[in-house]
Amino acid sequence: MSWIKATLSFINARRHPDEVTREVETELRFHIEMRTRANIERGMKPQDAQSAAVQSFGDFQRVKNSCCEIRRSLPFDSTLFKMGLHIMLAVLSGLAALWAVNVSHHNLTGVMRQLIAIAVLAYLFIVVRRAQAQRRSDGEHMHDALAPSTERFRANKSLTSDLSDASSGKITAYDEQGRTPVERMFKS
Amino acid sequence: MSKSKAGLLQGTLDMLILKALSLGALHGYGIGQRIAQISDDALKIEEGSLYPGLYRLERRGWIESEWDVSDNNQRAKFYKLTRSGRKQLILEEQNWERLAGATMKALRAS
Repeated sequence: MSWIKATLSFINARRHPDEVTREVETELRFHIEMRTRANIERGMKPQDAQSAAVQSFGDFQRVKNSCCEIRRSLPFDSTLFKMGLHIMLAVLSGLAALWAVNVSHHNLTGVMRQLIAIAVLAYLFIVVRRAQAQRRSDGEHMHDALAPSTERFRANKSLTSDLSDASSGKITAYDEQGRTPVERMFKS
Repeated sequence: MSKSKAGLLQGTLDMLILKALSLGALHGYGIGQRIAQISDDALKIEEGSLYPGLYRLERRGWIESEWDVSDNNQRAKFYKLTRSGRKQLILEEQNWERLAGATMKALRAS
């Protein structure tokens, strides 16, 4: 029942956002520390080792924000959860609409019920729209994979770094235009 | 970068993470190391980019995590593959083989 865990994790992340941020930070700092130790074992000076570790990690703040956003976003990727939520939203919308229709329009209670029903429908609509926007944003911010961050590109944009990567035969990175290092050398 | 290319690349990273975890539970740093190891250092992944990938996979229910103590007695978050993650890895591998086969076929066509 992974969707239950995902839902509980989502609720927990919403209730304790600071805790999520701390956890993410601890995890990312652990990575940098491990990399620093590895660099020292390779013979680097502690300060150089740490700088190299931070550089090879990429944009710490961006990664941290990205992770926190994912933790705090609705777990819509689970098909089962998504189906359940859509059914629940449809039922709630129907109930709210029925409730609003079956009232007398001439007294205060009736008007209040209609207003509450409209508020519920508006809230459900906003929830769906935000979830859709989140999913779109997830899709558009897939900067990770095998591609480096824009910041790292700016730092390493020299031809020599591109050449060394290309000549070593390593699969490195695509830039913002989707070009490989070799394509950048010849077409820029 | 086009959306299709980004999607393909993201899928590749997801597959590599799942593959690395299919060999046992690991923390984020260990996953990066294992990917480098199993690809003979041919795949160079920006280290920080692993983490949003891990969080997405966890949200999808393909991996799960728990805090534990690492070899050097530090608190670390360890990830492991779930049953649905294992199934997903098989699917990803099949898709990848099909895609790679089709691409090679196209490249070899005279």
